[in-house]
Amino acid sequence: MSKWKTDIGTSASESAIQAGKARQKRRIFLHNAFIALLCVIWIIPIVWLVCTSFSAYSGMNTSTFFPEKWSAIHYVKLLTPDTVNQFPTWFWNTFVIACWTCVISTLFVIMVAYAMSVTRFKSRKALMNAAVLMNLFPGMLSMIAVYFTLKTFGLTNSHIGLILVYSASAGLGYLVAKGFFDTVPRALCEAARIDGCNEAMIFWKIVMPTSKPIIVYTVISSFLVPWMDFVYAKMLLNAGVSANYTVAVGLYRMLEKSLINTYFTQFCCGGVLVSIPISILFMIMQKFYVQGVTSGAVKG
Amino acid sequence: MKKLIALLLAAVMVLSLAACGGSGKTAETQAPAADANAPAAPAASGGPISLTLWGAEEDQALLAELVEKFKAQYPDQTFDIQIGVESESTAKDTVLTDVEAAADVFAFANDQLNDLVAAGALLALDGDIAQVLPAYAGKTIDDVKAANGEGSVAAASKDGKLYAFPMGGGNNYFLYYDSTKITAEQAQSWDGLLAAAEAAGSKVGMTYASGWYNASFFLGAGFITDMNPDGTTVMDWNGTSADGFTGMDVVKGMAAIAAHPGFLAIADGDISNQIASKAVCAVVSGTWDAGAAETAFGEGYAATKLPTFTCADKQVQMSCYSGFKLMGVNAYSKNSGWAVLLAEFLTNEASQTARFASRQLAPTNLKAAADEAVTSNVAIAASAAQDVYGSVQNVGGKFWDPTATFGQMIANGDLKADDDAAIQTALDTLVEGVTAPVE
Amino acid sequence: MEAKTSGLSRLGSAVSGFFAVIARFFSEFGTAMAKGDLFVKLSLLWWGAGYFRRRQYVKAILMTLLEIAVIVFTLNFAMAYVPKFGTLGTVQAEQVFNMQTMQTEWNDYDNSFMILLFSLFSFVIWFAAAVVCMRNVVNVYELQMQAQRGKHINTFVEDLREYLDKKFHITLLSLPVLGIVVFTLIPMLLLILVAFTNYDQQHMPPTNLFGWVGFSNFVTLFGGGITTTFGYAFVRILGWTIIWSFFATLTTYIGGILMSLLLNSKLTRGTKIWRTMLVVTIAVPQFVSLLLMRNFFANSGIVNTICANIGLTGFLRDIGLISTSYIPFMTAPGWVHVMIILINIWIGIPYQMLIATGVLMNLPTDQIESAKIDGANPFQVFKSITMPYMLQVTGPALITDFVKNFNNFNVIYLLTQNVFVTTNQFMANSQAKETDLLVTWLFTLTQDYYNYKMASVIGIMVFIVCAVFTLVGFNFMISGDKEGTYQ
Repeated sequence: MSKWKTDIGTSASESAIQAGKARQKRRIFLHNAFIALLCVIWIIPIVWLVCTSFSAYSGMNTSTFFPEKWSAIHYVKLLTPDTVNQFPTWFWNTFVIACWTCVISTLFVIMVAYAMSVTRFKSRKALMNAAVLMNLFPGMLSMIAVYFTLKTFGLTNSHIGLILVYSASAGLGYLVAKGFFDTVPRALCEAARIDGCNEAMIFWKIVMPTSKPIIVYTVISSFLVPWMDFVYAKMLLNAGVSANYTVAVGLYRMLEKSLINTYFTQFCCGGVLVSIPISILFMIMQKFYVQGVTSGAVKG
Repeated sequence: MKKLIALLLAAVMVLSLAACGGSGKTAETQAPAADANAPAAPAASGGPISLTLWGAEEDQALLAELVEKFKAQYPDQTFDIQIGVESESTAKDTVLTDVEAAADVFAFANDQLNDLVAAGALLALDGDIAQVLPAYAGKTIDDVKAANGEGSVAAASKDGKLYAFPMGGGNNYFLYYDSTKITAEQAQSWDGLLAAAEAAGSKVGMTYASGWYNASFFLGAGFITDMNPDGTTVMDWNGTSADGFTGMDVVKGMAAIAAHPGFLAIADGDISNQIASKAVCAVVSGTWDAGAAETAFGEGYAATKLPTFTCADKQVQMSCYSGFKLMGVNAYSKNSGWAVLLAEFLTNEASQTARFASRQLAPTNLKAAADEAVTSNVAIAASAAQDVYGSVQNVGGKFWDPTATFGQMIANGDLKADDDAAIQTALDTLVEGVTAPVE
Repeated sequence: MEAKTSGLSRLGSAVSGFFAVIARFFSEFGTAMAKGDLFVKLSLLWWGAGYFRRRQYVKAILMTLLEIAVIVFTLNFAMAYVPKFGTLGTVQAEQVFNMQTMQTEWNDYDNSFMILLFSLFSFVIWFAAAVVCMRNVVNVYELQMQAQRGKHINTFVEDLREYLDKKFHITLLSLPVLGIVVFTLIPMLLLILVAFTNYDQQHMPPTNLFGWVGFSNFVTLFGGGITTTFGYAFVRILGWTIIWSFFATLTTYIGGILMSLLLNSKLTRGTKIWRTMLVVTIAVPQFVSLLLMRNFFANSGIVNTICANIGLTGFLRDIGLISTSYIPFMTAPGWVHVMIILINIWIGIPYQMLIATGVLMNLPTDQIESAKIDGANPFQVFKSITMPYMLQVTGPALITDFVKNFNNFNVIYLLTQNVFVTTNQFMANSQAKETDLLVTWLFTLTQDYYNYKMASVIGIMVFIVCAVFTLVGFNFMISGDKEGTYQ
């Protein structure tokens, strides 16, 4: 099949390979060519998205890869609000919601994970089992109940309501973070306790500073949610006030039958503009993200 | 553990106190009877009347303009009118999720009327509420009915009651074609169309996989769809029609078209794209695709009524569902009187004329429709020509999935023209699914 | 076999542990009530009594206020809804138009959904209040014991300080748990209750009322009810849901591991650039990327144009795989199922690659080296060293992923909505299609058909199936509780 498998992340084969440098070079070339091929496959749809967003034609054209005429006009249109499109406002809304969501979610996740991992109390196991059970229930179904609960508190059509929907139950997703805290050496905590630290101080001064990867991981995961969700947002922001929309709801509306001919290219532009900041975030945080997700996955 | 629960409870308490406050507010909207006697709820003069209004994206600018005119009509009254965006084709979904939170006045397509009425979301306009029109707008509900086309009033009514004001018509489908490739003569029948398209190396497109479109064959052959009072759908497509055709004749006719190399079955929602990509030289669609068709066909842009199709060796004119855009008043609207006035205003002759000018929506108002600019519009003329053969769509929710599947089966060629038993079984299953009880 | 027993015993211990907690709770309460002094007993009625007796005045006032709050809540709020819980309301909405005020006037009608929701809220609060009340008695009894032994009784400030130390977990957990109760637990209980009502299009609040119907919806699901094909559709959708979850989980999991091995190999140049290219696909919102994918593979899409040009379409026609002039990637059953799984690989591998990258950093390299010296080929190394290690480390996450895919709404909905039309009439008659997962089916049922009762029944089924898979999965995956490994 392919050569790359021969060298699965090891150094042992190194000596064997040194036999022929030419062979080695060919190998490296083939290996990287194969990776390049895979990456190209992965990136094609993204390239298509970017290309389409630079098309001069405003409707949907799915039969050719490259647009017939290139133009950046739809980016200009997207950034100039009209009755349908208020992209800058949506972007700002989503950003604010995402920030709050990520603060609250991260706090909740870290708090629950720490409590479940480090502290010991009678009903700990019972609570953990309950969390497992609750995660099994399809959330899609309880949408209507969540809607009316929020309506009772007057929080529909408000960003606070949306933030609550995204973050209030975040505690249920504590498992990855708990896995991380399980790996923090307990000896450190013991030492601090002997020095007269109370639990809160251990939490803040000992465990938190060593938990950067898992915090970054949680922040990124929860930051992404408001950008991706359109089902809850559409249900909650039901007053039809376009200025209140999030990016997802706004862009999704552009696909309506009567609008798609005029707005499809702008929809693609919107997709590109949304993914730029998220990509940058990922690139900067990649290292932490990998560490965080890993240590968590160790425990699942 | 006790403290945990104590704290939890404390927080729940705070929130639930807020809930009391909140529910107070809900109770207010639920039972305005309580404060109707209070001086805070005035008659024609006094504090601002707050209303919310939902219209399509493409209607927003126009609505803002019209609302200002509406306010100017009643200088003694102050208004606080909020305009929101809600597509006419999906208004039902949003309204029915929470009727009490929906707009006082909203635009919707007439196929949603049955569900909206069944859920009690629409205010019946010819009840007591009808008195507001003579009192404030100087016309009666019968004037409104008479001013609009018969079909549109029928589409806005259920069980003899008017539930919405007709706002626009032409929401049906007809044939766009490229007159450089197809002659007007050929466009009269599927046989002519398909032959011409094949000769021109192009295709004739139509959506089969949607009950909204494929019903045109059955309705044309004299079959019906209707609705029982309990919300179930009536359908006789597996039997023999009033015109003496059997469902099997129609299916065979449809299958013959689908099997023709000049035919292109288009997925619902993909029509605009197909027109724009110039894959077709003729296509069955509605006024919303006029722009796309005009661009794609250029010089040859033409539109006409739907063609005839071969059914049991006869040429049968295709029918269609006549579609209308309506403006309804929420049954749970607090200021229902003013809401009715607003809805009527937004659909009167002047407003319909303005709406035609802004988004080419065919007026239902007879005077507005007689206007030169309207009658000379190619797409609207074709839509009106087809409407003669149309019937009002009166079906329940169970109509859609089985009919879409049935159309897809024919388009795929799953039903062979020589396999009578299979066709009949499919028709029976279709009717069983469509007429199933509503849960 | 050993893993199985340990898994079952885990379940057993969870259940028995649960009952032990309850038993201890009641026995402590019983002891306190039996042996407590007058004020301890009085605490059952006046929550502040015991603290008052021990001169913890702040606590006494707080508990009294809390009790008043519960009473106010009960009288002002709960009593408006809970008494109607048995019938879910009887007063139909009626309206009269008042020409004088230009307003519609309503009677004081019942809204079944609100009755259900607020009754549940009330039950949860009452349950919490009952637990607090009983714990309070126990607590006050402990204070009495302390006082009798002449021990120091905490001041209020000292009590508060406890929450940063011994009771720190309470400080940490209270808000998140509140959030979960309001936004997950109560909605979940509510929808479980809806499965026993007739909440559907014919009974939509606020205009119509709905009521209790017992188990009849469950009977309907298994074929005894009004829609003859509902059970038929359910079984098929369940089958596809399981197949999908299995392949979606497995393919992305193994693919992620292979991809990460590939990228982290010594031969790779520019690992970071490759990885970034893959990660960009995560950054594009799914409703954009999936929509593109489905246009990509549409009947008249780019891929079909290319396939027709290179003659693949013609070839497939010749060998009888397709009967159409295009390849029905997203429109024919079978094709679409494979495509969905393939597209999911495209989405899922970058995520899994990130996870695997981290885990494999800790791969025990000495084992691999010795295996190589023994002459093991790369596949053997992968099979007997890399995979077992990965499985051991990420096994539980695999089960979580399975459950997530079971409820993976986005991928299926965005790829097939308005594109795939079933040609199976029995499915169509139950508003289902071959590509539906249970969760997308129940979404259609609620959004388009307002059939909340059947959606709830399906929701409960999803819950049961997921629970079974989780249980079985954990039985095989986890050979013991690893929690203490690092501690």
